[in-house]
Amino acid sequence: MEKFKLRIFRYDPTKDTDPYYKTYELPVEKGMTVLAALFKAKEEQDPSISFRYNCRAAICGSCAVRINGHATLACKVQVTHILQKYETDTITVDPIGNVRPLKDLIYDMDWLIDKLKRIKPWFIPKEPPPSDGTEYRQDPYDHHRIDFASDCILCASCMSDCNALKANKDYHGPMVLSKAYRFAADSRDGAKEERLNAVLDNLNLEWCVRCWECTTRCPKEVQPFENIIRLRIMAAEEGYKTPGEIHAEIFEKDILNRGILNEMLLPMKQEGIFGALKRAPFGIRMMVKGKVNFADFFGGHKIKRLEEVQKIYEKAKEKEVKIKLPQIMGVVYEDKRKTRKRANFTETGGNK
Amino acid sequence: MAELRYAFYTGCSAKGVAPELYNSTKLVAEKLGMELIELEAATCCGAGAVQEKDEFLALTINARNLALAEELGLDLLTICNTCTVMLRETKFKLDNDPELKNAVNEVLKEAGLEYKGNSEVTHFLWELIDGVGLEKIKEMVVRPLKEFKIAPFYGCHIIRPPYLIGYEDPDNPKSIEMLIEVLGGSPTDHEAKLACCGFHSFWSAEDKVTLKLTAMDAESAKKEKADFMVTPCPLCHTQLDAMQPEAEERIGTQIGMPILHLPQMIGLAIGFKPDELGLNKHIVSTAEIVQKVA
Repeated sequence: MEKFKLRIFRYDPTKDTDPYYKTYELPVEKGMTVLAALFKAKEEQDPSISFRYNCRAAICGSCAVRINGHATLACKVQVTHILQKYETDTITVDPIGNVRPLKDLIYDMDWLIDKLKRIKPWFIPKEPPPSDGTEYRQDPYDHHRIDFASDCILCASCMSDCNALKANKDYHGPMVLSKAYRFAADSRDGAKEERLNAVLDNLNLEWCVRCWECTTRCPKEVQPFENIIRLRIMAAEEGYKTPGEIHAEIFEKDILNRGILNEMLLPMKQEGIFGALKRAPFGIRMMVKGKVNFADFFGGHKIKRLEEVQKIYEKAKEKEVKIKLPQIMGVVYEDKRKTRKRANFTETGGNK
Repeated sequence: MAELRYAFYTGCSAKGVAPELYNSTKLVAEKLGMELIELEAATCCGAGAVQEKDEFLALTINARNLALAEELGLDLLTICNTCTVMLRETKFKLDNDPELKNAVNEVLKEAGLEYKGNSEVTHFLWELIDGVGLEKIKEMVVRPLKEFKIAPFYGCHIIRPPYLIGYEDPDNPKSIEMLIEVLGGSPTDHEAKLACCGFHSFWSAEDKVTLKLTAMDAESAKKEKADFMVTPCPLCHTQLDAMQPEAEERIGTQIGMPILHLPQMIGLAIGFKPDELGLNKHIVSTAEIVQKVA
């Protein structure tokens, strides 16, 4: 029978000074999940392997780990799939990233819970329920806005692979911000301002680097990144003047007035004349190397047919359109040129 | 040979802070038999900034960009990862929501335009592989990069999110490595290969997030003894090259990792001089590379 290697992150702080990897050889069985493989190694070879699990059906979110470097639920992916995906005979299982390991694959959850508490992840009603004994009512679009965000099972796969969190552990992280969106955007919720203040504390909401890792990792198609952006749209609508909001205004004006961005004047518009001064070494460096066009200092280049953009801008601003959230479950982006050879493309997502 | 004509969407960076990308793309494309017809009427893609202020406006502006490619009856070719994802996001949303598409087209009508949805959005990297082909590129190599260890840096928006990009497995992409290998170089498997450069949070979290990521990325390539990093995205390039001195200052360590644009790397192998490709326009010195290829 075909075999594979299950390489597990091992660490017991009561015995080990440093974590290490231990490899177990197992038979490749049809339909076997990585969680089932962990069980098999524990039951048949080494009872000391520790990991969290509960439902075994991608509902509880307990068994999130990193498999060959990327976070997912151990119960949701199959061994054969991982071996094919990485063209390997070894599956490496680590605890999720950005957290403190406690023992083997088990990590300290308190840190995540403390982060969640900051945004009060529960419903705070705007008004008492209707007096006639019926329930709170919501129109279908208002429900649609929070539909995907409500599916979060707090598995923290998104927190694991978040780039901003990797750089700075004070960042709220995608799970927390997405949860904040779920309540702030609920038409029945009465604590929108309080929630926005909590996520904008220290500009935290804008530390996101737009790497789209969280949405790629999420095993429940919650779209954490898209929810972060929706939360920012809400903040802008509520009139918060953040660097992100100023940045968006600069882009919008440049598109309207010249079509493309004026990168030469961007720092000054973004941070004012004094702010821009601290960027002087950078600016001079760029000019010396001939990387920026000096003419842009005085307005510079404009696109052709700019009048079209101006007409579009006016008309678009008049319209109120309810944009639906993307339905991403099982989506394969289909290219119409079927004749094209796709390079090594085996699947659509990180978790399928 | 198949016809390799594209509506060329330059994006702002290649026209602003990365002219060496614009020039090297044109040189390399021509030599490889690609015809790039520049969309001189195209606007900025909004880079996610406009999208988070007025999503409908952003979608409409980008529908116009796509309509410009449709006018030419060509697929739209980008040289920037963020342009790629923004334009593909627009296409995804409009193609999957007829009501939204109608609303957008009502606005575009004001300018005598219509978004139909029959041009694809593709990236230079993908067209090198699927359009020109690796065999052809291999034939064109006159100066193999055999003494170079090269660190691929994909940049987020050419692999993620898979529902918008879907070109290759976002967890195990191979396209840049495949190119490095046909040019005769050796790709490194460094830790930050699929990481983020930090660019998009620069104005809000320069010290807290951005520069730390930039430093981690460049250091990860250095750890694997790479001669340079290569990226298909001008935003990653600006962050990793032009901002590398700030990143070094942030962590208090010298790194000095040269960063090449994808077409610059191809160009060196198919016979262009470093100066023609703008290697002299970089902030981190490329002198060692120039010396080696001379």
